Amino acid sequence: MKKSKLLALVLAAATILSTSGCGFTGSTGSTAASKTAQTADAGTKSNDTITVYDTNEIRTMVQWAASDTNSFTIMNNVSEGFYRLNASHEPEPALAKDCKISDDKLTYTFTLRDGLKWSNGTALTAKDFAFSWLKQMSADATNNYGFIMTDYIVNGAEYQAGKAKAEDVGVKAVDDKTLEVKLKQPTPYFVRLTTLPMFFPLNEEFVKSKGDKYGLDAGSMIYCGPYVLTAYDPASGSTLKKNDSYWDAANVKVPNVKVRIIKEQSTALNAYKAGELSRVILSSSDVPAMKSNPEFSSTNEFRTTYLQYNLTDKTLSNKNIRMALGYAIDRKTLAEAILADGSAPATGLIPNYMYGNGKQTFREINGEIDSFNASKAKEYWEKGVKELGGTPTISLLTEDDSVTKTVATYLQSEFKKNLGIDVKIDSKTKKARNQLMDDNKFQMAITAWGADYDDAMTYMDLWTNGTPYRGSYKSGTYNGLIADAKKQTDDEKRLQDMLTAEKTLVADDAVVSPLYYRGSAYLTKSNVKNLVTHPFGAPIEFKYASLS
Amino acid sequence: MTKTEIPQELFVKAEVDKEAREHIARPNLTAFQDGWLRLKKNKAAVCSLFILIIVILLALFGPVFAKHTFFDTDYSQIYKSPSAAYPFGTDQFGRDQWARIWQGTRISLLIAFTAAFIDLFIGVTFGAVSALFGGKVDAVMQRIIEVLVGVPQLIIVILLMMVMPAGIWTIVLALSITGWVNMARLVRAQILKLKSQEFVLAARVLGTSNREIILKHLIPNTVGVIVINAMFDIPSAIFTEAFLSFIGIGLAEPNASLGVLINNGYHVLQNFPYLLIFPALVIILIMVCFSILGDGLRDALDPRMRQ
Amino acid sequence: MFRYICKRIVYLLITLLIILTTTFFLMKKLPGTPFDSERFSLLPPEQQTQMLEKYGLNDPVIVQYGKYILNVAKGDFGTSFFYSGQPVSGVILGRIGPSALIGLQAILIGLSIGLILGIIAAWRHNSGIDYFTMVIAVLGVSVPNFVAAALLQYFIGLKWGILPVAFWESWKCSILPSVALSFSVTAMIARFMRTEMLDVLEQDYIVTAKAKGLNQFKVLMRHAVRNSIIPVVTILGPIVVNLLTGSLAVENIYSIPGIGSLFVDSIKTNDYSTIMGITVFYSSFYIFVMLVVDVLYSVIDPRIRLASNGKGD
Repeated sequence: MKKSKLLALVLAAATILSTSGCGFTGSTGSTAASKTAQTADAGTKSNDTITVYDTNEIRTMVQWAASDTNSFTIMNNVSEGFYRLNASHEPEPALAKDCKISDDKLTYTFTLRDGLKWSNGTALTAKDFAFSWLKQMSADATNNYGFIMTDYIVNGAEYQAGKAKAEDVGVKAVDDKTLEVKLKQPTPYFVRLTTLPMFFPLNEEFVKSKGDKYGLDAGSMIYCGPYVLTAYDPASGSTLKKNDSYWDAANVKVPNVKVRIIKEQSTALNAYKAGELSRVILSSSDVPAMKSNPEFSSTNEFRTTYLQYNLTDKTLSNKNIRMALGYAIDRKTLAEAILADGSAPATGLIPNYMYGNGKQTFREINGEIDSFNASKAKEYWEKGVKELGGTPTISLLTEDDSVTKTVATYLQSEFKKNLGIDVKIDSKTKKARNQLMDDNKFQMAITAWGADYDDAMTYMDLWTNGTPYRGSYKSGTYNGLIADAKKQTDDEKRLQDMLTAEKTLVADDAVVSPLYYRGSAYLTKSNVKNLVTHPFGAPIEFKYASLS
Repeated sequence: MTKTEIPQELFVKAEVDKEAREHIARPNLTAFQDGWLRLKKNKAAVCSLFILIIVILLALFGPVFAKHTFFDTDYSQIYKSPSAAYPFGTDQFGRDQWARIWQGTRISLLIAFTAAFIDLFIGVTFGAVSALFGGKVDAVMQRIIEVLVGVPQLIIVILLMMVMPAGIWTIVLALSITGWVNMARLVRAQILKLKSQEFVLAARVLGTSNREIILKHLIPNTVGVIVINAMFDIPSAIFTEAFLSFIGIGLAEPNASLGVLINNGYHVLQNFPYLLIFPALVIILIMVCFSILGDGLRDALDPRMRQ
Repeated sequence: MFRYICKRIVYLLITLLIILTTTFFLMKKLPGTPFDSERFSLLPPEQQTQMLEKYGLNDPVIVQYGKYILNVAKGDFGTSFFYSGQPVSGVILGRIGPSALIGLQAILIGLSIGLILGIIAAWRHNSGIDYFTMVIAVLGVSVPNFVAAALLQYFIGLKWGILPVAFWESWKCSILPSVALSFSVTAMIARFMRTEMLDVLEQDYIVTAKAKGLNQFKVLMRHAVRNSIIPVVTILGPIVVNLLTGSLAVENIYSIPGIGSLFVDSIKTNDYSTIMGITVFYSSFYIFVMLVVDVLYSVIDPRIRLASNGKGD
C-alpha cells in the first residue's frame, strides 16, 4: 500500500537525519551521541567543570566585531589585556608587568611579562598589541567601539577617518616587550580600559593567515588567556579548557568550563536543579522562595535604567511636568517588590559602587539626587498643567521585553496613583523603539545604559551631543563641565565637575529620571567558590574560581 | 385462481387539487431553522451552548461583580493565592486576577470571533472559487496563497506596527493576513473531491449557476471540515494574539487577553501555578464547549444527515 | 502527470522570485540598521556612512536588490550581520538539523496516534474512546505547546529524571520536544479524521461493502480511510512545513539551536542576509510541499484531476 511506502520513506529520512545531520553539540564528530551525553553528564557532576549559561547567542569571537557581553565574556577568559580585573573589580597587571605614566599623564609605557606565549607556541610581543589596537581604530572594526581608543589616543580619530597614517598614531611597539601609548588628554581610567576585550592583543601573522575564516571556530583562533576554546558554536555555546601556556596557569584551578545558551529562565532553573549548571540567575518570582537558600546571592551591575524625556516635545519641554513625573515614582517599591531580583532603586544616574575618588564611590559622594515625593509631584504637576493651559496626554515608549514592560506597567500605575493621569504605554521592538527615538518621535521612553568602563564619564559623555535619542538636551553649562573634566589634570577638580554635571542633568534640568540599577539574584552550587561576576564589561570571570 | 372482475363503476376520477399535490408533509423550514431544530435535540450541544452563554455573560459582567478593577494595582497584595477577597489570586502588581481573567476573556473572544469570521468568509470563498473554476484561475489563486505564506509574517507585522495604532483592530488585521489560508486550502481540497461527483454534475446539467452550485451544493457538503477548522482557528487566534502582544503590536498594558495572561502565568508556573491554571481552565472550557457545539452544528447543518 | 509537475516547477520558480522580491523590499522598510542601534546612533555621521557603505547599504534599494539576486543566482547567500562574518548558508544549515529532527518525530507521533484515534473514534461513534479522542483533541489545541513543553520538562526531565531536562547533546534530548510539539498535530489529525470518517461511513458504498459481507477491518481500511484522508493530507502540508522549520517557543524551552529561533532573531536584529536566506529556504520548502500535496490528492482519489487533461491548463 502506498501509505506504508510513504511511511517507510519518512522513517528512512528520519534515520538519516538522526544519524548524520542534526549536529548534536556534545559530539565532536560522528561518535555515538548517547556516549557523549554520558560524559557530559559526568563532567558537570564531577569536580572539574564549571557550567554557566548566557541568555543570548555568542555572536562572534572576532575581537574587532564583538560588541555584546556574551562574546566579551568568552574573550575575556580566553584572552587577556595588559591588565585584568581582580576579584574585587580593580585592575591588576596581567600580560603587562607594569605601566609607567609620565608626569603630564599623557604617555603610558606598558612593559610585558617575560616569556609570554600564544597557545600555538608563538611568542607574544608588544607588536601584537600595536596590531590589534590599530585594527580596532581602523575602518575594519565593525563593532562600533572605535571611540574607546580614538577618543584618547593621539591621531586615533584621524587614522579612523583615513586622514592619518599608522605610524602617526600614538601607539608604538618600542621593542618586543614595550608598548608606548600617547594620549590626547589625561585619562585617569586609561589603565582600566586596557582590561576590555577591545584592548586584547592579536597575532598579525596568524590573523592574516586565516583571512575571512579567522575566529569562525575554535581552531581558527589562538589564545593567551587563562583558558582556550575547544568548541564554539554561536547557538549552543562553547567549551573551554585550561590554557597550560598561560603565564599564571598555576593559579587557574578549574580545568574545564562550559558555557551554554539558555534563553528561557525556567529552563535554566530546571537545568540547575538537575545538576547541569553551576549557577542560575533567578527571576523575580523565584526570589522570595529562594532567599533563605544558602546557595543564594546577588550582585549589582553598572547599568542604569532611566526615563528619558524629550525636551522638544510640547508637554515635556515643561520642566515642572518633568519634575512631577520624576517625583511620582516610588523607586524602592519598583526595585524591591516588583523587580525583586537584586536590582537597587536609583538615587542618581551613576550606579552604586562606581569609582569615585578611591575612598568613596561616586554615588556616596553625590548622594541622593533623584527621589520619590508624592506631594511634591502633585505640586509640580499642578504648576505645570497651569503653565501648559490644560492637562496633557502622555505616552511612554518602551521596548517589548518582559522586564521593561513590567517597569512600564509599574510607572503607569504610579503616574495614575500619584498624579491621577492615564499614561499610554507604547511598546515596540528594540529596533523600532530606537528608530522612533532617533527620529524624535517620542515623548518619554524607558532606556538603559550599561557602563563600558568603571568611570562616571561613560555615562556623562552621552548627553553632550544633543541628539534626539538623548532628549535633544543642549546645555552650555553641562557641556562646559564635561569638557573641563576631560581636560582636567587635577583628579579632585575633575571629580567635582562630574558631580556637578550629574546634578545639573538629573536634579536641575530633569532631563532624565533614573529608575533602578540592574542586579541579578543567583543560586550557585555550594562546591563552586569565587566565581566572580564583574559589574560591567565581561561579567563572568573563571580565572579565580575553584571547585571543592 | 379465479379472476375477479372489477366493475367499471367502481372507478371514480380522483379530484386532484393542485395545491395538495405539491404539499410537502414536512414543515417548510429554512436551512437555519432546520438546523436549530435538530441542534435542540442534541443535549450535549445545548448544554455547551448554555455554558458558553454563561462564560460570555461573565466576560461581560464578571468585572462588575469584582471588588477591584482589572487595572488597580496594590503593592501590598503581590502574588496572593486565591482567597475570598481575590477568588483567582493576584498577580505581580497585586491586581485582581478575577477581574483580569474576565476582562481578558472578553477581549480574546472578540478577537477570536472576528478573526475566525474573517477566516471563514475569505477562506471559504477563496477556496471554493479556486477549486470550482480550476485551471488557470486555480493556478493563479494557489500561487497567491504561496506568496502570502512565503513572505515572513513577522516582517509584515512589525511594519504594520509602525504604521497602525496599537489596538484590537490592528491585531485582527495582522491575524487575517494569512489566517484564512488553511481554510481556503481545505475547502479547495474538499470541493475538488466533490466537484466530480454525480450530484454536482447533475446540477450543472440542469443549468444551475456557479454561484448556486457553490452555495447550495458544495459548501453545505464541506460544512464538517469548515466547522472543525473554524474551531482550530479560535485558539490559534487567541495564542497568536498573545504572541503579537508580546512583540508590541496589539494590546498595551494594563489591558490583557487570555493569551497574554497564560503567557505571563507560564513564566511564574513553578511558584504561582494558579496564575496559569485559571486562565488555562477558562480557555479549555471555552474550547470544549465550542467543540461539542461545533460537532452538533455539523450534524445539524450537514444536508446528508437529514432524515 | 509528468508535464503537470514540470509546469508546477516552473511556477515554483516564478512564485519564489515574487516572494523574494516582496520580502526584500518589505525587509528594507524595517526600522533601524543591522548594527547595534544604541552604539550606532552614537557614531558621528561620517562614521555611520562609512559603516553603511562597507556593507553596500547606502546604495538605492533597487541596486541592493539586483546585487542580491545576482549573488543568489550564483549560490552565494552572503554573510550574516548578527553572527558577524559567518556565511548565511552555513548558519542556516547548522540550525535546520535539530528543527527538522524534532519536527519529523513530532509529525510521526502525531500522525500515527492521530490517525488511529480518529479512525477508532469514528468507528465506535459515541463510545468511550470517541469521547476520549475529543478530549485529547480539545486539550491538544487549547493548551499551548509552550505550556505542554514546560510541564514535560518539569515532570519527566526534572522530577522523575527519565529524560534530559534540555539541551541538544544526544538523541534522547529530542524526545521531549518532539512529544511537546506532537500534541497539536495529534489533536488536529484525530479531529479531521474522525469527522471525515463519520461522513464517509454513512455513504452508500460503505453500506454496500458491509452488506457484501466484507471483513469489517477491510471495509474500514480500504474504503473508509482512503476516502477520508483528503482533509488530513491538506492540513498535513502546512503542519509539515511549520514543524520542520522550527518552533520558537519549544526550541527556547529546550535550548535547542533550531531554525525557529534563528528566524525570529534575524528579523528582530535586521540581519538582512539571514532573513533572506531563511525566506528562500522556507518558501521553497513550502511551495514544494504544496506541490506534493496536490499530487497526492490525485493519487489518493483518482477522481480528482488536477491538470484536467485535454482542456489545456
